[in-house]
Amino acid sequence: MFHRRRATMAAFLLPAIVIYGVFMLYPLARGVYLSMTDSLGGPIANFVGPEQYRAMADDPAVTAALWHTVLYAAVVVVAQNALGLLFASLLFRRPKVRKALSVVLLTPTLVSPVMAAFIWSYLFAPEGGINALLGVLGLDSLQHVWLGDTSTALYAVAAVNVWMFAGYSCAIFLAGYMSVPTELLDAAAVDGASGWQRFRSVEWPMLAPALTVNVTLSLIGSLKVFEFPLVLTNGGPAGATDTLTMLVYRNVFGGGKFAFGIAVSVLLLVTVVVLSSATSSLLRLRERRI
Amino acid sequence: MISTLWRRTSGNLGTVLLCLGTLTFVLPFLFTVVTSLRTAADVARSPLGFPHSLTLHNFTEAFGQIHYGRSALNTLLITGLSCLSITVVGSLASYPLARLTQNWSTWVYRLFILGTSVPIFVVVAPLYLLMRDLDLLDSYAGVVIIYTAINLPVAVFFYTSFVRSIPVDLEEAAALDGCGAFRTFFTIILPLLRPITSTLLTFVALQVWNDLLVPLVFLQDPDKRTVMVNAYSFIDPHTVQPTTLFPAALLGVLPLLLIFVFLQRHVVAGMSAGAVKS
Repeated sequence: MFHRRRATMAAFLLPAIVIYGVFMLYPLARGVYLSMTDSLGGPIANFVGPEQYRAMADDPAVTAALWHTVLYAAVVVVAQNALGLLFASLLFRRPKVRKALSVVLLTPTLVSPVMAAFIWSYLFAPEGGINALLGVLGLDSLQHVWLGDTSTALYAVAAVNVWMFAGYSCAIFLAGYMSVPTELLDAAAVDGASGWQRFRSVEWPMLAPALTVNVTLSLIGSLKVFEFPLVLTNGGPAGATDTLTMLVYRNVFGGGKFAFGIAVSVLLLVTVVVLSSATSSLLRLRERRI
Repeated sequence: MISTLWRRTSGNLGTVLLCLGTLTFVLPFLFTVVTSLRTAADVARSPLGFPHSLTLHNFTEAFGQIHYGRSALNTLLITGLSCLSITVVGSLASYPLARLTQNWSTWVYRLFILGTSVPIFVVVAPLYLLMRDLDLLDSYAGVVIIYTAINLPVAVFFYTSFVRSIPVDLEEAAALDGCGAFRTFFTIILPLLRPITSTLLTFVALQVWNDLLVPLVFLQDPDKRTVMVNAYSFIDPHTVQPTTLFPAALLGVLPLLLIFVFLQRHVVAGMSAGAVKS
């Protein structure tokens, strides 16, 4: 009786395995294979070995995109988590406003990246909201063509990403705060620890799991960023905001360099897997030591 | 005495600063709403000034230009079907994955979890070829299948860890009473999955509604396009016109935002709970 039961249970897996296998794992394997061909997307494809990868290594646009992607991710991970943590620790100390404000902070998260990029493309425009605001404040000297200058464009795009997801990081940190035993905080308060001391020696170590989740999520998310550079700058100015995803999209769907684009996508996969697994295992190690 | 007074004022001051800090996060939204209600000439004169007169003209304009009625229905249909498919396929799969603890099932589970770190960009090109060969380009079914496949890792992860936290005693009793796997799943497990399902649905609905890439690549037929695709193809990066951009942006997020205002509590709980459990 139990044997048949187990067989029925195993059958529950079938739809998931079929869909996942055919529409995820198979394309993944085929992609790795296609990156070693000269495919143009049509039926004819010759195996050429690591040719595309050699071309990629020689292409300064790919090296630049890889650098932009990593730099962008670093800026987003640091800024988004710092802001999220700041808001979470301030909100944690003020239970009365906590709930309402955390909802407000989450609203940007509900907007699509395309729409967020829409709004900010105007705010960053030369005659747009931010420059107008700076003008009103009498800070005309700080006015700037934010998205049109190679030295600021990538950071401006990253800022939109941070604006959108800082509330999400804050929510995760707040959930982490809720798992801090109140006795610990009370004990620290009785000992006369200052706010900063309490944060440093009680809260920060207890927030380690939340930090691991937050850093890993924001890292993976920012490495795969696509809509923000696409809508805000389309990779410009002069390629300053070209990320790996932008190169994949451009080469695969319009550049005529199909196999090359797929090779770049494999580079993206390797980057995401290496960086995210290294970061999360480092953070897990840290959790255990604390 | 003085020190408590000082502490209280500084505490209140902190709260005020915190409120102001939070306000800056919604300021772009408020600005968007106000600007989209102004006339183009008025905005050009003073981007930050007080509106002289309010108009709905921009909205009606954007409504027509991004074919809002049609594309919102398309997006709603795709989001709804994807949510349904992911919850059904995902919850079914997680039951054996949580309960059958054999070598092969651990392997299958790992294979699913692996998918959480695979960016869609890695599979988009080969997936395009596959959908072309299967004649699924330009079809809602194709897009729904793609969303199901790319969200299955998250669904399997959520559901499996949840089912593992349900004690087996109930199921054993049901089995002794002659309940098969089917009845056990539908009468015992499925009703218990309700809270985690709402978390998952929040996550998936946001992903699917807001996604640009999949409909951009896989739905070429103008009649089948989603809100995001229509809005995207309507922008001109060289002339950023807030009075045409902003209404389009607001129309794009409005339905989802309205739903989430009503489900606010679940959304906040869901988004944070789902993440911390991992």
